[in-house]
Amino acid sequence: MKLMTSLIALAAAAAISTPVLAAEPLKAEVIHWWTSGGEAAAVKVFADAYNKAGGQWVDSAIAGGDAARAAGINRIVGGNPPTMMQFNTGKQLDELVKNDFLANLDAAASAGNWKAVLPKAILNASMRNGHFYALPVNIHGQNWVFFNQKAFAEAGITAPKTWEDVLADGPKLKAKGIIPLAHGGQKWQDKILFDAVLAGDGGAALFRKVYSPDAQAAIADPKFKQVAETFKKLRGLMDEGMPGRNWNDATAMVITGKAGMQVMGDWAKGEFLAAHQTAGKEYGCAVIGSGYIMGGDVFVFPKLKSAEGTAAQALLEKVMFSPETQIAFNMKKGSVPVRTDVEATGMDSCAQQGMTALKDPERQLPSVSYLISPDEDGALQDVVTQYLNTPAETSSEFVSKFAAAVKASG
Amino acid sequence: MSDSILQQPQQGVERPGSRWRARLRTQWPAAIALLPAALILLVVYIGTMVWTLRLSFTSSKMLPVMDFVGWNQYFRLFNTERFIISIDNIWVFGVLFIPGALVCGFMLAVFIDQRVRAEGLLRTIFLYPYALSFIVTGLVWQWFLNPTLGLQKVIHDLGFPHFQFDWIVQPTRVVYTLVIAGIWQASGLVMAILLAGLRGIDAELWKATKIDAIPAWRVYFSIILPMLSPMIATASVLLAVSVAKLYDLVVAMTNGGPGLSSEVPAKFVMDNFFERSNVGLGSAAASVLLVSVIVILSPWIYSQYFRRQGGRK
Amino acid sequence: MTQMVEPSGPMPHRFSWARLGIYLVLGIAAFFFLIPLWVTLMTSFKTMAEIRFGNILAWPGHFTVAPWGKAWSSACTGLACTGIKIGFWNSVRILVPSVIISIFVGAITGYVIAFYKVPGARVGFSILLIGAFIPYQVFLYPLVRIFSSLGLYGTLPCIIIVHVMFGLPLMSLLFRNFYSALPIELFNAARVDGAGFVTIFRHVILPMSTPIIIVATILQVTGIWNDFILGLTFAGRDNWPMTVQLNNIVSSTTGEAAYNVNMAATILTAAVPLCVYLISGRWFVRGIAAGAVKG
Repeated sequence: MKLMTSLIALAAAAAISTPVLAAEPLKAEVIHWWTSGGEAAAVKVFADAYNKAGGQWVDSAIAGGDAARAAGINRIVGGNPPTMMQFNTGKQLDELVKNDFLANLDAAASAGNWKAVLPKAILNASMRNGHFYALPVNIHGQNWVFFNQKAFAEAGITAPKTWEDVLADGPKLKAKGIIPLAHGGQKWQDKILFDAVLAGDGGAALFRKVYSPDAQAAIADPKFKQVAETFKKLRGLMDEGMPGRNWNDATAMVITGKAGMQVMGDWAKGEFLAAHQTAGKEYGCAVIGSGYIMGGDVFVFPKLKSAEGTAAQALLEKVMFSPETQIAFNMKKGSVPVRTDVEATGMDSCAQQGMTALKDPERQLPSVSYLISPDEDGALQDVVTQYLNTPAETSSEFVSKFAAAVKASG
Repeated sequence: MSDSILQQPQQGVERPGSRWRARLRTQWPAAIALLPAALILLVVYIGTMVWTLRLSFTSSKMLPVMDFVGWNQYFRLFNTERFIISIDNIWVFGVLFIPGALVCGFMLAVFIDQRVRAEGLLRTIFLYPYALSFIVTGLVWQWFLNPTLGLQKVIHDLGFPHFQFDWIVQPTRVVYTLVIAGIWQASGLVMAILLAGLRGIDAELWKATKIDAIPAWRVYFSIILPMLSPMIATASVLLAVSVAKLYDLVVAMTNGGPGLSSEVPAKFVMDNFFERSNVGLGSAAASVLLVSVIVILSPWIYSQYFRRQGGRK
Repeated sequence: MTQMVEPSGPMPHRFSWARLGIYLVLGIAAFFFLIPLWVTLMTSFKTMAEIRFGNILAWPGHFTVAPWGKAWSSACTGLACTGIKIGFWNSVRILVPSVIISIFVGAITGYVIAFYKVPGARVGFSILLIGAFIPYQVFLYPLVRIFSSLGLYGTLPCIIIVHVMFGLPLMSLLFRNFYSALPIELFNAARVDGAGFVTIFRHVILPMSTPIIIVATILQVTGIWNDFILGLTFAGRDNWPMTVQLNNIVSSTTGEAAYNVNMAATILTAAVPLCVYLISGRWFVRGIAAGAVKG
């Protein structure tokens, strides 16, 4: 192992043809927004792997994607870029690439055979004009239904397979004094729920089309209107304290059995874990429909002037993508590895379901942030949240507002 | 200021002949002392205002670009439901919050000024909300006002099942909960400012009113309040600034919800600048905000700082 | 209480219904003001399990101080699990010079605008006041450009200058309005005696400014200590203030939220402004202005 890592370090140094022997550790300053307990533990996997390979990880953690991205961009503009920063794919990446701020990762990509092992949707998102500009590190499933086994048993129901099931299960849970659907009424959570319904009720094809340049046709489809109606009906399964609630407070309601289920990304497993609950035992998880919505985190590498900086970047790219680091990192993060060629052993039952879904390209749905600009995403969140919270708004009003928002921001 | 106690002979300061010389002598140091402020004003404030206006006519997304798209961003802005709701909300909030905080702050200042025991402790109690970061206290308010967690639940548990206090989840009422939390946070500061004003008032005044046996409440309303007017102006500006910049409170308490019902303009600007990487639209919103502030403030600034100042000398 | 503290209200009697009313009103007000603090404190002493089941007003069933220790010295803020304590001295190093300089610049500016006629000063002051209404975030990008072209970006002086800049409108407003309420005769008399610009400021104006300096200090200490976005953007990684760590602990989106640690960290971070409020009381005095008029 030791030999391996020093070989990697050597290779990295050689890759840029500067004869720096790793006498001086390669310093790499990393901006990311993984600050809390479980996330921090996951970052530590990366940092340790990098340090072991002869680098020196300098950690700049800033909570909140917005704040962290803004800080990173200010650093780039101010002429003092970090070695690596967490970022989003989508239109924001376009702008950085267009302004020539980013190093391209083709060398590391061909050495690590990224093209063969990345799921297609993620592969596309990481590339611009045929070159790699982003290093994807994990996949988070975003349309999970987490449910309390005991509550479900009490109400005599099992894991829902369709959104019709969910609507039918609602009254049964209510009859037992259980809130059917724990929901946090914040824009992004409303949108997560909507996308889950869109993928499950409207189908994977409709989902892809709504978030494509051909959106208007998809929105005009009667199936989209039906999705809107199903979504609105879910409002009846929520409690009155829903608005403004944090997602983890909603998860806590499922944990304690106050509520039956919650629709959330797989980061919610961290909360179950912290409450000493295990997947398949105290709580269950299900994906409704065949489409599996995949979000994830990526890192970008600003163009640097110094040879040491570039060497550090090459080493980071190598280390973070290696199968061992991938498995270790994603175990801690609660996500699944971005490589489809690693084995899913040692993962909980939810993660294994996720891995199975990932192997099938038909089931892969890129999350919205990969597909549309943050501007459009935000505008759609506004429309969705207003619809869910305005009892008087009809589905046709919603459909036309949705279409208008796509047009204005697309 | 027309109270008899402070009235003193107003002449004999600048004799006609010496007027110009005195002016010239004193003007230079004063002008030099203003230099840092002038520099900051020119480079930072005026520079940024012009820059923001310029950006509002561009198609800038994450990074500023210097193209020109005419009024497009403004058209989009005024066709955005969320922005319209934001404008409505800020009016309601401002109209309730500023007078509310002024009245509460003034009452607290007057009551605390009655030689009460433990004045320091009380003052700190009223001021502490201002010191705590709202990221977390906003969450506490959210819990406290949430019908399934806070006050309503506690009172239900006490055996009053019909008690209802769920404004924070009512789209039509939620803005009032922001007002309540806002007043809670700001009135301590108003109190401190007015207390500083009260303590700047001449002790002789109280002796005089005592002799004349004027009731205390009349002294406060007819004599003290007018004397405090510069301090009240200060407090009003501070409060108005916090209305225009209202952001933290909303993010922490309601995040704009339920739906869009508690959105505010500053949050619209911020979300577009950062989360939504839409600098063009954000700048347009900021410019609308800026122009509104100028329109609303100009008459007041004129009467406060031009007319009266002119009358003084 | 020191001798100097001399509130101005009407002289109290030994006991009266009015006095009782005063204490009653203050007591009730204090009670309402303290409810959120109560919730914050109680939450910080509970375990997460208890918070999940949540009666937010209840006394902790399982009293624990662990969240406080964790918040101060072992909560993770990214890779470093050293709590919020590491930013404390950075915050102090930013706070002290920023507060002193911004109050000084504000006082001078307010003094000039209140007592002197400088061409354009009032127009400038009006623009400055309007500038106070612009959200900080709008300034970030141009300021980053300016400071990096000066080679100052990401340094301690940079963040201090930024705080002075953003403090200027309200500081000069505060002082201008306070000074314009002072008796003008003082100023005129000093001028007749031949005192110059600096002498009048130092020996006449400044000694009367204590109450307003206290208010200015409260404003600036709170504002600068609690600032997050400016410190994050302009101070540079080595000078990040405590609020960056606080924010890292508190506002993580997808990580698990330890509310008890968050609450403890919030109160710990607010300790400095709170101490300033408590201590400032000594100087909340009256009678200085009156004394100066006579003298």
